[in-house]
Amino acid sequence: MLIKDAKILIGDDSILARKQLKDVLASFGAVNFVDAVNGKEAVEKYIAEKPDLVFLDIVMPIKDGISAVKEIIAENPQAFIVIVSSVGTQQQLKAAIEAGAKDFVQKPLKEEQIKALISNRFDS
Amino acid sequence: MFIQFFGGYLLSKGVVTPEQLVKAIEKEATSHIKLGTLAMHASLMTPIQIEEIKIAQTHTDKRFGELCVEKGYLTDEQVTQLLSEQYPKYLLLGQILTDEGVFDHETFQMLVNDYITESCIDKDGIPEEDNIMIHAMLTDYCRDIHSSNKEYLMEYLTLMVNNLIRFIGADFTLMPPVNNIDCHTAHYSTQKVTGPFKLDSVIDMDEDIAVMFASRYVNEMFESFDEYVQASMEDFLNLHNGLFTVNISNSYSVELQLEAPYSGTDLDIPASENVFVFQALYPFGTVNIIITDQN
Repeated sequence: MLIKDAKILIGDDSILARKQLKDVLASFGAVNFVDAVNGKEAVEKYIAEKPDLVFLDIVMPIKDGISAVKEIIAENPQAFIVIVSSVGTQQQLKAAIEAGAKDFVQKPLKEEQIKALISNRFDS
Repeated sequence: MFIQFFGGYLLSKGVVTPEQLVKAIEKEATSHIKLGTLAMHASLMTPIQIEEIKIAQTHTDKRFGELCVEKGYLTDEQVTQLLSEQYPKYLLLGQILTDEGVFDHETFQMLVNDYITESCIDKDGIPEEDNIMIHAMLTDYCRDIHSSNKEYLMEYLTLMVNNLIRFIGADFTLMPPVNNIDCHTAHYSTQKVTGPFKLDSVIDMDEDIAVMFASRYVNEMFESFDEYVQASMEDFLNLHNGLFTVNISNSYSVELQLEAPYSGTDLDIPASENVFVFQALYPFGTVNIIITDQN
């Protein structure tokens, strides 16, 4: 699959963080985005939209990112979820992986990290 | 880099008032370092020689450097070298205060020398170990704070100074903390840190200052206060607190949690022994950092 054909769900309560991630992804060719402003909405939109790639923050209101990962994985064990968070402790990393996340990106966002992730996941 | 503390140092010495310091900091953005200040810092000219050249300048339309060379105080090569070298930022602050008549050149030179000696920083203003130095200076700032969690508080403040430098800019003066006062915020963002060490963190600033703060943080010019400006304040605080939890986890094996940040206006924080207010004075305005130790 090419990144331009991929549907990408971004779950983050910060409008700024969502925009910054979208800008980086768009620079690599992504065009199709779905926004979620908390973990609960991320789960609902995952079920409704069936995205090809999911980015989730950990610290979010209503439902946190780790809980959302667990619910999405329960829905689809193959879901490709990447945690993007400033709370990159070993414990959070472990929790994210145990919940079923495929990768963990530490904020502040680095373009190279997203680039490497995209090139692993999509055809060039 | 240590302009943050030179302003505080001057305050602690009682040689400037907070009003004079704020006024000088506001002028930094539109001021330039002068050859005389650089020559004095490099120990090439004395304060008296600088005054002499300044007086001579009023009788002729020659430049400061030309007159210094004519008088034999500097060579052409020294003038070129001084103007091409990087200088520590605290010099500009001192120069503005000297120009404002707050103190004279001789006092300025003495203050810089004392500041360098007491702060153990290199004369070029670049510390050997930034973090250790910031931590040491903050320890001095916070010597009157007595809390069983002082170690965590110091970690928090050290990281905050680092993050302000890293994400907003190094051109600020950090004021000594104020404790036990009523706080009323303008536009604020707040986030709770929970777990074995609990604190409420707030950053607060006026609307136009928030616009500048966000512009620097995102590296994009915002025109007015909007949801992206507010999100930038929250994002900065969330990023800072997130990195704090990482540091505490790595250094102390203590796991802290964060609640989601939120923003608003006109928050009243009543005076308490546990409330600490730090002000970072940037050329574009004051950023208030309010920390409530909830333990």
